[in-house]
Amino acid sequence: MCHCGIIIHKEKNTTYNALGDKMDKIKIGIPKALHYYYYGTMWKAFLEELGCEVVISPNTTKDILEQGCKLANDEMCLSLKLYLGHIHYLEEKCDYILVPRIDNYGTFEQTCTNFLSLYDIVSNLFKTPLLTYNVDVAHKKSELEGFIHLGISLGKGKEQSKIAYFHSIEKFIKMRKKQRIQELKKLNMTNIKLLIISHPYNFEDTFIGNSIKKILSDLNVTAIDGEMITLNENRNSEESLSPNLYWKYNKELIETIPVIKDNIDGILFLSSFPCGPDSLVNELIMRKINIPYLNLIIDEESGSAGMETRLESFIDILENKKTVR
Amino acid sequence: MKKGYLGIDIGSISTKGVILDEQHNIVTSSYIWTEGNPIKAVKDLLHQLKESLEEEIEIYGIGTTGSARKLIGLMVDANVVKNEITAHAIGTTHFYPDVRTILEIGGQDSKMILLKDGLIEDYAMNTLCAAGTGSFLSSQAKRLGVDIEDFGHLALTSKNPVKIAARCTVFAESDLIHKAQVGYKKEDIIAGLCKSVVLNYLNNVGKGKKIMPPIVFQGGVSKNEGVTKYFSEVLKEDIIVDPNSHLMGAIGIALLAHKYEDGKMRSLDVADITFETKGRECEKCSNHCEILRIYKDSKFIESWGSKCGKVS
Repeated sequence: MCHCGIIIHKEKNTTYNALGDKMDKIKIGIPKALHYYYYGTMWKAFLEELGCEVVISPNTTKDILEQGCKLANDEMCLSLKLYLGHIHYLEEKCDYILVPRIDNYGTFEQTCTNFLSLYDIVSNLFKTPLLTYNVDVAHKKSELEGFIHLGISLGKGKEQSKIAYFHSIEKFIKMRKKQRIQELKKLNMTNIKLLIISHPYNFEDTFIGNSIKKILSDLNVTAIDGEMITLNENRNSEESLSPNLYWKYNKELIETIPVIKDNIDGILFLSSFPCGPDSLVNELIMRKINIPYLNLIIDEESGSAGMETRLESFIDILENKKTVR
Repeated sequence: MKKGYLGIDIGSISTKGVILDEQHNIVTSSYIWTEGNPIKAVKDLLHQLKESLEEEIEIYGIGTTGSARKLIGLMVDANVVKNEITAHAIGTTHFYPDVRTILEIGGQDSKMILLKDGLIEDYAMNTLCAAGTGSFLSSQAKRLGVDIEDFGHLALTSKNPVKIAARCTVFAESDLIHKAQVGYKKEDIIAGLCKSVVLNYLNNVGKGKKIMPPIVFQGGVSKNEGVTKYFSEVLKEDIIVDPNSHLMGAIGIALLAHKYEDGKMRSLDVADITFETKGRECEKCSNHCEILRIYKDSKFIESWGSKCGKVS
C-alpha cells in the first residue's frame, strides 16, 4: 500500500518513481569486447536480476573496427581499438555504459594496464555516463565489494546486490563447466589438433577469430580453445613453465599447456598487435615447450592471404610429423 | 610423346615457371615480372614457356604456389595448389637432400625453413616489419642510380661498408639518404645496405631459431652476391646458392604436381581464354566484405572474401 493511498502491485523488475509512475527500465550498455569475454555472463545476470535492461553491442563489424581505429591513438592494441569501436556503437543507445576498472585479483594476479585505464579513456572520449566498479584485491577491494558498489549506484540495497552477485557467479560457473566439457571432447578427435593460446577477446571475436577458424576447418584441423579448458584444479600448473609470472589472464591461458600437451599436435599463439604481456609470455613459453608452435600477430589488415600461407605451412609440418610418427 | 609437369610460382614481384620431365630434369624455365597483374604475367609466362620448348610435350600436372597461387590455380586448372614454404622445401631437398636451413628472401616475404632428414621441422616468416626486402633493395638501387643486377657486385668492391640501421626498412631508407648526403662512397653505402638486409633478416625472421649447416640461400635476393657474402660472414658458415635458386619454389610445386598426378592432360593455351576478376564491396551488412568474383570465359566460377558465406 502506497502512502498516497493507491495500491500498487509491485511487479518484479519494474521501477517506480517517487509518484508511483511506472518507469522504463534503466538501459545499460555492455561493449562486446575485452573483458566482456570474461565477465559478460556475470554482468548480464547481475544487472538483469537488479531490474535493468542490458544492451550488448553486436559482433564486431568493419564499421566498429574503423570507428575504434579513428578514436584510438597509435599505441593502443587492436583489441582496445575494437573496445572503443563497441563503445561508440553503444553511444545514445543506452542510459549508462558499464566500464569497470579491474586492476588485479591479488599480487600475482595482475591484469594488463589497458584494463586499468579503460574507465578513464572511455570517460574522456564519450558522452554517455558510465557505470563502474573497482577490483583491486591486493588493496583489499574484492570483486564482491565491486558488485555491491555497482548495485548501490543503481539504487539497490546491499543485501539484494550481494545475492544477485552470487547468482551471477553460479550462472558463470555453470556456463564455464559446459564449455570445458565440450572443448575437452575435442581431444578425442583423430585429425590434427591445434591448441589455440589466445585471449578470448581475440579468438572469440567474430571479426578476428572467424577467418582463422575458417582457414583451420578448411584444413581439417580441430582447434581447441585453451582458454575454455582453463581448469581450477590445475591452477598453478603454469608454474612449471614460469614460476613468477604475474599477468592473470596470461597465466590462465598457458596453464592449459602442461595439462594437455601430450594430446595435441601443435600450438598456435595468437596475439593482437602490439600486446605487451603476450609479447613477453608467448616468447617465453615458446622456448620452454617441446611442441611445434606458431606465433601469429594480428592487426587491422583485411587480407587473409598472409594468414593462410602461414597456417597452411604450419599444418603441413604437423601432418608430416604425424605421418612419420 | 614426352610427359611434363609445370610448376608456377607467382610472387608479388616476379613470376617463375618451370617444366620438368618425368625424370625431374628441367626442360625449360622462365622468369618474368609480375607487375601487379598476376593473370597477365602468367599468360605471358606460358607463352614464353611454350615457345622455348624444343620438342612437343604433354603436360600431365600443373602446380601453383606463391601469393597468387589460388587465383592462378583456378585459371590454369592446377591439380596442386600449395603454400610457398612447402614448395620451397620440396624443391630444395630435391637438389640438396641434407639441407638443414633454407634462407629465402623474395620480393615481399622472407622466410627461414629449418629441416631435418628432408622434412620441415620449423619455419619462420617475416612479421609486418621485415617485409619488402627484395622490392626495398630494387627501389634503393634506383635511388642510387645503380642497376639491381650490378648491386651485389658493387657491394663486393667496398672496403669499408657504412653502418645502416637494420631495425626496419623505413629507418634504413632515411639512414641511407643521410649517409649519401654527407658524402659516403656509393659502394660503401651499397655494401652497408646489403649487410643491413642480412642483420634485419636474422633479427626478425631468424629470431630464436637455431641455424644449422648446410645452409641454402634462395629467392630473388640470393642473386645479390653482397647479401650472400654478409650471410656467410655473420653466420660463419658456407652459403650455398644454386644457379636455379630463383626457381626453387616453381620446381618444388612441379614435383608435387607430378606426385599428385590425376591422369588428366592439361593445356598451356590458357593465354587464349579470358580470365577476369571483379571486386566490389558488399553492402548487405556493416561488415562491408570485399568480395572478389572470378570469371573464366565470361562465366562466373568462384568468389572469395565473404565473411558470412551467404554472398558470392
